[in-house]
Amino acid sequence: MSEDIKHRTTPLVASVCYVRQAVSEPLACARFVSDIFGLQQVAAQDGELAFRSDDRFRTVSLSRDQHEGASIGVEAWDETALQEIGERLREHGFAVRSASLDECGRRYVQSALLTNDASGNRIDLVIRPTRSGRRYFPPRDAGIVQFQGIGLRSTDHVRDLAFWRLLGAEVTDWVGDIAYLRIDHLHHRVALYPSRRNGLLYAAFEVEGLDQIMQNSYFMQDNQARIVQGPGRQSASGQVFVHVEGPDGLILSYVNGMAEVGDKPRPPRQFPLTATSLCNWGSESKGVPELGTQAI
Amino acid sequence: MIQLKDVSYVRLGSSDLEAAETFATSCLGLQIAERGKNALYLRSDERAHTLCYSQGDPRDQTVGFEVEDETSLQDAAATLESLGHAVQAGTAQQVEQRKVKAFIGFRDPSGNHIELVVRPERSGRRYFASRDAGITGFSHIGLNSTNPLRDEQFWTQVCNARVSDRIGDIPLMRVNAIHHTIALVRAPQAGIQHINHQVETNDDVLRSYYFLSQKRVPIVFGPGRHPTSGARFLYFRGPDGMIFEYSVGVDEIEDEATHRPRQFGFEPTSFCMWGSKPAGMTLPNK
Repeated sequence: MSEDIKHRTTPLVASVCYVRQAVSEPLACARFVSDIFGLQQVAAQDGELAFRSDDRFRTVSLSRDQHEGASIGVEAWDETALQEIGERLREHGFAVRSASLDECGRRYVQSALLTNDASGNRIDLVIRPTRSGRRYFPPRDAGIVQFQGIGLRSTDHVRDLAFWRLLGAEVTDWVGDIAYLRIDHLHHRVALYPSRRNGLLYAAFEVEGLDQIMQNSYFMQDNQARIVQGPGRQSASGQVFVHVEGPDGLILSYVNGMAEVGDKPRPPRQFPLTATSLCNWGSESKGVPELGTQAI
Repeated sequence: MIQLKDVSYVRLGSSDLEAAETFATSCLGLQIAERGKNALYLRSDERAHTLCYSQGDPRDQTVGFEVEDETSLQDAAATLESLGHAVQAGTAQQVEQRKVKAFIGFRDPSGNHIELVVRPERSGRRYFASRDAGITGFSHIGLNSTNPLRDEQFWTQVCNARVSDRIGDIPLMRVNAIHHTIALVRAPQAGIQHINHQVETNDDVLRSYYFLSQKRVPIVFGPGRHPTSGARFLYFRGPDGMIFEYSVGVDEIEDEATHRPRQFGFEPTSFCMWGSKPAGMTLPNK
């Protein structure tokens, strides 16, 4: 590690900036994402259906391409940070390669390093993801403020945790072996869920308040959309949530009210893997094992 | 004019005090103040009791309102009698049963049994709930009305109630700064339509939703939010079909002098801005 890197005053990564999801029925999924969930669909490119949730050019995209069409975008702070992360990952045995111009174009980013975590989740470390000059204009009044973060399935949570730590993430709290990872002032942006397979568990979108969480819950009931958990409230982060499942098992979540981590450092807290640790209101997972209390 | 200070208690007849007690403690979450052979007294706040079940007909339902003092009580009795309402002064035994200094009973124009009370007892010991429902106190009632226009006049002109908002012809009326203490509900006969207890937070409303659902208590409306008072609510059914409500965040009327009642349309979103729909609970008929 070079001297100037060691003395960085800014974090290595800034945000989780997009999810690209491979699905078997992109059009059905797209209807769910825009008409039901309420994201703004924007022009498709390279066979990827794209959606906005805030001032970013796009935060969700869907394609049929199981191989190249799925990845999670993580915004590195700057070019130096990107190089540093690349070195760190290589040192620890993770394969990293630079994205081609074409691959960058498809992701709407300036440059990127493409890698996989230990579970095989494709992670894009990107620089300068594109923003839009036009404000976000959703198809219905779901009250979405911005893309907030992700839940990720992990088949090797020890190595995956090591991977995220190399990016500068730290564990805020544990529920069983579920790890809530912070990269900024929020309690967590990434949550790793032990699972039998890899892949995105959910993408979470912040809404304005509790009113929108509840309005969206009733909207889902009225439209026969499947709520897999919630409305509920995470005990560790204080975040109110409702997880909604669309076609192909795609889960999108409305969230609000996540705690911020204070200036005072504290060790991660351990909660047991029980229903009240996952939701202190009493909601339970309906058919999604990772969201439930069965150890996997 | 009869100056009501606050709602004081509800008395309900019950044919099964044991079932009433089980519900009141393990579901609703009130504290038992006193358990007699023929009556069960329940606390919800600093008052000695705010709900009393007594052995009898469930159709016997009474709401007590506090007035300032015995002079006010006598004035109220005179006013009511002059308007043709039969007024009964409470006997020594009845006064003791209600834990008040004095009271009178009468029926409102719809036939609801109302009591006006002086100096209802407080308790020196703080309220300690039977389950952690987060209850902070008994707050208001929904009262059946066979003619809301007539009854609004009674409560606002004979008594001191003021209309805070209306949904269709249904007035939500306050007697102090709290948005409403009496909500009239159009119904074919007299009766208490619901009994409200305030809880501490949103969390309590949602926790009780899951808790009561698991206990198979019928949830009849909510979780939801009233656009009128701003309160987050949950309505559920107790013994003898009585509906109880938990709510949090009822607005206070900030400026008594300048507040004008808002008119809401008679439609589902006027009752819940979240989109919950009543199930097994009749909304006030237009």
